[in-house]
Amino acid sequence: MNDANTIDRREFFNWGIRGIGATAFASLLSRCSSARASSFGPAVFPNFEPRAKRAIHISLVGGMSHIDSYDHKPGLDKAHGKPLGSSEKPDIFFGKVGLLRKSDFQFKPRSQSGLWLSDMFPHIAGMADEITVIRSMTTDSANHTPALFFANSGFEFNGFPSVGSWASYGLGSDTESLPAFVVLSDGRGGPNGGASNWSSGFLPSQHQGVELRSGNTPVRDLFPAIEQPKGSDAAARAFLQKLNARHAARHGVDAMLSSRMRSYELAARMQLSVPEVSDINGEPEYIRRQYGMGESRTEDAGRRCLLARRLLERGVRFVQIYSGGPIGGSPRASWDAHENVQDNHSTEAGRIDKPIAGLLRDLKQRGMLDDTLVLFTTEFGRTPFAQSNANQVGPGRDHNKYAFSCWIAGGGVKSGYSYGQTDEIGWKTVENPVHWHDFHATVLHLMGIDHKKLTFYHNGIERRLTNVHGHVVSDIFV
Amino acid sequence: MHLCGYRNHLLGLVLFLLESAAGVSLAAVNFDHKVAPLLIRHCLECHNSFDLKGKLDLSQREAAMKGGKHGSSVVAGKPGESLLWKKISEDEMPPDHPLGQAEKTLIRDWITGGAKWGSNADLDPFQLTTANRGGYDWWSLQPVKRPGQPRVTSQNWVVNPIDAFILAKLEKAQLKPSGPADPRALIRRLYFDLTGLPPTAEQVAAFINNPTDAAYRKVVDNLLGSPHYGERWGRHWLDLARFGESDGFERNNVRNNLWPYRDWIINTLNDDMPYDEFVRMQIAGDVLKPGDPAGQKAVGFLVAGLHNTVVGGSEFMKKTARQDELEEIVGTVGQTFIGLTVNCARCHNHKFDPIRQKEYYQLTSAIAGVYHGERNVSDPELGFQREALRKQVAVLSEKLAGIENHGREAALARRKQGDKPPKADPPKPLARWEFDTDLRDSLGEMHGMAKGSARVSGGALVVDGNASWVETKPTKEQLRAKTLEAWVELGDLNQKGGGVIGVQNLSGVQFDTIVFAERESRLWMAGSNGYARTQSFGALEENEADQNPVHVAIVYQEDGTITGYRNGVPYGKPYKTGMSKFPAGNSQIIFGMRHKGGGNNFLKGKIYRAQLYERALAPDEVAVSAGVESSFVGEQELAAALGQASRKRRKELKGQLAALIAREKELGIGSKMKVYTVAARGNPGEVRLLKRGSAMDEGDVVRPGAVAALRSLSSDFGIQPDAPDAERRKQLAHWLTDPENPLFTRVIVNRLWHYHFGTGIVETPNDFGFNGGRPSHPELLDWLASEFVANGRRLKAMHRLIVTSNTYRQATAPAKDGLAVDAENRLLWRKSPVRLDAESLRDAVLAVSGKLNPKMGGPGFRDVSITPNNGTTYYAPIYPKGDEYNRRTVYRFSPRGGRSAVLDTFDCPDPSTTAPRRGVTTTPLQALALLNNEFILNKAQAMADRVQALEKGRLDEQVKRVFLDAYQRLPDAEELLLAKRLAVQHGLVTLCRSLFNSNEFVILN
Repeated sequence: MNDANTIDRREFFNWGIRGIGATAFASLLSRCSSARASSFGPAVFPNFEPRAKRAIHISLVGGMSHIDSYDHKPGLDKAHGKPLGSSEKPDIFFGKVGLLRKSDFQFKPRSQSGLWLSDMFPHIAGMADEITVIRSMTTDSANHTPALFFANSGFEFNGFPSVGSWASYGLGSDTESLPAFVVLSDGRGGPNGGASNWSSGFLPSQHQGVELRSGNTPVRDLFPAIEQPKGSDAAARAFLQKLNARHAARHGVDAMLSSRMRSYELAARMQLSVPEVSDINGEPEYIRRQYGMGESRTEDAGRRCLLARRLLERGVRFVQIYSGGPIGGSPRASWDAHENVQDNHSTEAGRIDKPIAGLLRDLKQRGMLDDTLVLFTTEFGRTPFAQSNANQVGPGRDHNKYAFSCWIAGGGVKSGYSYGQTDEIGWKTVENPVHWHDFHATVLHLMGIDHKKLTFYHNGIERRLTNVHGHVVSDIFV
Repeated sequence: MHLCGYRNHLLGLVLFLLESAAGVSLAAVNFDHKVAPLLIRHCLECHNSFDLKGKLDLSQREAAMKGGKHGSSVVAGKPGESLLWKKISEDEMPPDHPLGQAEKTLIRDWITGGAKWGSNADLDPFQLTTANRGGYDWWSLQPVKRPGQPRVTSQNWVVNPIDAFILAKLEKAQLKPSGPADPRALIRRLYFDLTGLPPTAEQVAAFINNPTDAAYRKVVDNLLGSPHYGERWGRHWLDLARFGESDGFERNNVRNNLWPYRDWIINTLNDDMPYDEFVRMQIAGDVLKPGDPAGQKAVGFLVAGLHNTVVGGSEFMKKTARQDELEEIVGTVGQTFIGLTVNCARCHNHKFDPIRQKEYYQLTSAIAGVYHGERNVSDPELGFQREALRKQVAVLSEKLAGIENHGREAALARRKQGDKPPKADPPKPLARWEFDTDLRDSLGEMHGMAKGSARVSGGALVVDGNASWVETKPTKEQLRAKTLEAWVELGDLNQKGGGVIGVQNLSGVQFDTIVFAERESRLWMAGSNGYARTQSFGALEENEADQNPVHVAIVYQEDGTITGYRNGVPYGKPYKTGMSKFPAGNSQIIFGMRHKGGGNNFLKGKIYRAQLYERALAPDEVAVSAGVESSFVGEQELAAALGQASRKRRKELKGQLAALIAREKELGIGSKMKVYTVAARGNPGEVRLLKRGSAMDEGDVVRPGAVAALRSLSSDFGIQPDAPDAERRKQLAHWLTDPENPLFTRVIVNRLWHYHFGTGIVETPNDFGFNGGRPSHPELLDWLASEFVANGRRLKAMHRLIVTSNTYRQATAPAKDGLAVDAENRLLWRKSPVRLDAESLRDAVLAVSGKLNPKMGGPGFRDVSITPNNGTTYYAPIYPKGDEYNRRTVYRFSPRGGRSAVLDTFDCPDPSTTAPRRGVTTTPLQALALLNNEFILNKAQAMADRVQALEKGRLDEQVKRVFLDAYQRLPDAEELLLAKRLAVQHGLVTLCRSLFNSNEFVILN
């Protein structure tokens, strides 16, 4: 070890281009005594050539019905009005098992690939050749908040880092003047669990998702909350620099001191870059229209999808977009269609269909789709039987943790492809089940990360996004 | 390298064993000492009775000989035919890490020599530490041994033994400690460290003018005595307790009443309660001190974490949610108090530490009665009033007793002169056991049956205190009011908790027993389930019963009054609780045992005779039965003996007392406050191991217990699987705090070190297991642990020791050789500089702006908006004005997901899990928060306003005052010039804002 090394090892500044290299690796080195750390070896991310450099994660809150959208079940049409016919008591939320109900939406083969998709998402259906649908998703919880936490972090509880935080931790950001992980919440409110969904958990705090809001201060505290004397910002900064320099001269240059000084330079850059990226007025009219802006129904999601593209263009690693606000209430502001799937899902899909299709098209036109992942997920699916009395076919469906659909586009996955299968009525996954751990392992893999190597020590365990599970679903790779 | 020293040491030991093994003769290949450790270290990881890789189990003699799916592994005398030898010799096993030549030879010789197995048929895979996991020999599990102070060259640097331990390692690494910090830096460090607040400029100046060791020590004592100490160190504790004031999960409802736990922590730390008591209170305060609000508040620890209130409809979901909740609690208890991640053994044996899955469920059984909830406890304010009333009652009672004693003496004097009190015949019991030659009931059918080594000898029932007792068949009559009585001689007076005679239901869950010294040493008490009918009689200590038999009786009245008697006279004072029914057919009489299923249950001594009455005896009846001359004076006799004036005075006093007692009782009813705490279920029933952790896959019943890896303690609590909650948690509290528990003391002294220096001697304060860090100074850790015990487990003594060491008082300046050899400063060649933690930063801004409201305690201030929205509660930062919001950050209402911009960016953890150490990051978001956040800007303005009012129109003085308040020093000439220019052009507020952002403000030297 020599002097030059010590500066790297004492790297206090933890923002920007270096991910794990700057922080975790240093802390791992310092823990030479730890058996886990030493057997773990010097991990450098990416572990291999990444297929995708960045990702957008669209998270549907409340549980989208797969059998009405992405998982065509002719068997369910035939069984309409019949009982489920299983002696096993299903683990659902409300526990009311009505008769089987066919889809309220029409399915047909779409685009070149002929993927069977329903008319719930007509615009996305037009982009069917760009996506891989996974029809065999399963999860552990049929309860909203734990299920959403699970989809985000691989655990059902508060306090675990979300996918975006892990990506930030592993790969850092390609920009120093924007956070690596940005969150865009539904205009109707945050999802259940709120900011816990994009928490960095036990990872260092710079990996926390930063919520970008509309308005003059898109990032909290970007500008003075109370008006300050004119010109005082720049003057304060200049003064601060001199003060800190004198302090350093007196006490010796410590890494912690110099990294704090640097953080103020970057803060100043953020004050320029955040308003710049947030200002979408400069986007051409046709692009804005392509995202559904200018229409009341799609304005909110359209703006956020467009913002996501702009963020990624400028080097942000991971953007998360929520579709759906709080669970519960009437009318519902999420996908939780206990009362009526047709009404609820038509409304919710109507809000995001055009914006998401617009985003896919835009990314493709710009050549970004090749190395950008678009993830479209929901916390669980819905039951093939109605949520009603045992002898009725009600219009709503309950939660289904045994089977649901998600899709992935871009970033090295196959296009116009479907993976995995559910049973004849879409109740349970029967072929190639993909658990969240597998999904997460796959996403990390696409971004160049071996999910078993991306770890962080916390209270006794080298924690992973995938806990002790996870298989990469390489069948969906190009 | 130094940090790996411990491992090297272990490795050396292994090599030594192997070297000595290579030379021995075949016949003498000792399985226990040579072969077993090899198998444990290299084979049992996969080939054990659980994992059975290749269907091979090498942990059991039979199974090992039999072999796995590829055939027999060991053929005695024939290595060539033994698969074990083949795989090992060809380096196929162990995979990736073939054995060395000496080890191989050992195995071959062992097989050649007949493959004789050792003394135990089963090998314990946890016995030894391997390359992949810790065993019972793991360093942190070994007893604490107080090491001698090491020799050092620069002896004059050593002011206390801490310095010797630190210096010895530095000298070994050829490093020198840094010089002393300058007085200003030192005193600021000390203030922030001990109280979390900056000193005033005047306090700093006072020390700089007299920077002597004596003056420093005086400041230390002052700060340790300051109430701010508890606020500062209480905040550290709240990190561990994952103290959060909302439920988390979907609803994330507000917890309005958890703050009493926070206040209890702060006050108790200020009072310097011994740490073992501090911990017992947090585990079992409600059952150790029933009725004491402190106990109910303290156990808030157990339920300060997440609570899922939407668990779904199915049985699986409900059970799983409950298991998750238990894991959360068990995990926090294990990590906080003994630094073991026991929660990792929920689904399987711990992968890295010697903790079996069964032991995890033993621990869940110990807390199986713990549920989240609210309880009413006494309001402390009204508590003071009640206390005052009680004092008045005591004074009047004494006066009354004076009059009555006088009357009694007069009555007894009359008797001596011939006035005979009416003599009663001895009362007739329901059952009598003479224990002359047998265990028979001489009056009826309730004959005793001996258990354990209980026997009749020399005209008495002899029990040895070791699982020996006598019990009868079920009673034929219901017992309500009753009297228990026995003539007993104790084996010794220091025994605890044994029962003489009792009645219990057949399961032992409900009981009334005459018990010796369970709660108070050397005192008799009316033992009962969960102390439901137990209070102190407030009598004198027993000092005779080990030499002569004494007569002990307890009378249970229908109205719940319980009276004790010793040798025929009242034993202390009666009290009133409740009456318990013991139904016919389901109850029995027991002797020599408190109740079935209890811990510390058994009596050591002789019972000469015992009697049971199905009614409450009157005092004179007890006296007669005891065979003593009764000095009991009845009401009639007393009244007759008193003069008229005394009778009147007595009547008045009685009236006043009744009124006072009624008032006190009334206050007791009206004085309740709600506390979020353990809503205990008294009888949580049996707990079963859950296979693979699945809530629906139940295995065997486990008994309440703990971790077996601590060989100095029993992991079994000695109570039944269905023991009451109170019993379980009391045992857990005692197990954790047992003087023989080495982790208990090591973990807490390491935490103190961690907070004082920024890094612990073990850098993973919650994990002393295989995955955790190894101690940088193992001897120092043990010395501190033993010193802690010697100091009565008082935290303040340890703080004093640490902060007065030269190690702590070093300067922070970087040094080239130090950075080169030990950049992380684990050897402490300097004091590492400290970035203020989030709370200290906010508190410092409040303090120097002049706005700090020092109000302690009570509900937290809420600087978040609380928006319930369709079943979810959202919290968002707001910036209300007013003194209430200028309180210290420890009093901030802290919901989960209730983000505060400043606290958040400065690494204040969300209270989702226990946070034994905080991150220290530096990000532009921090800079933005400190530059632009509303709270910060408000305080900058307040500071500017205050200083401007103080030094009206005098700019030089204003600038100096701002520097003095923020930095506790004057600006130098250039700083003064720059600062004045800034203030003139952009206002004093801009200067204040800048100083809040400066390195000198945020980073401590």
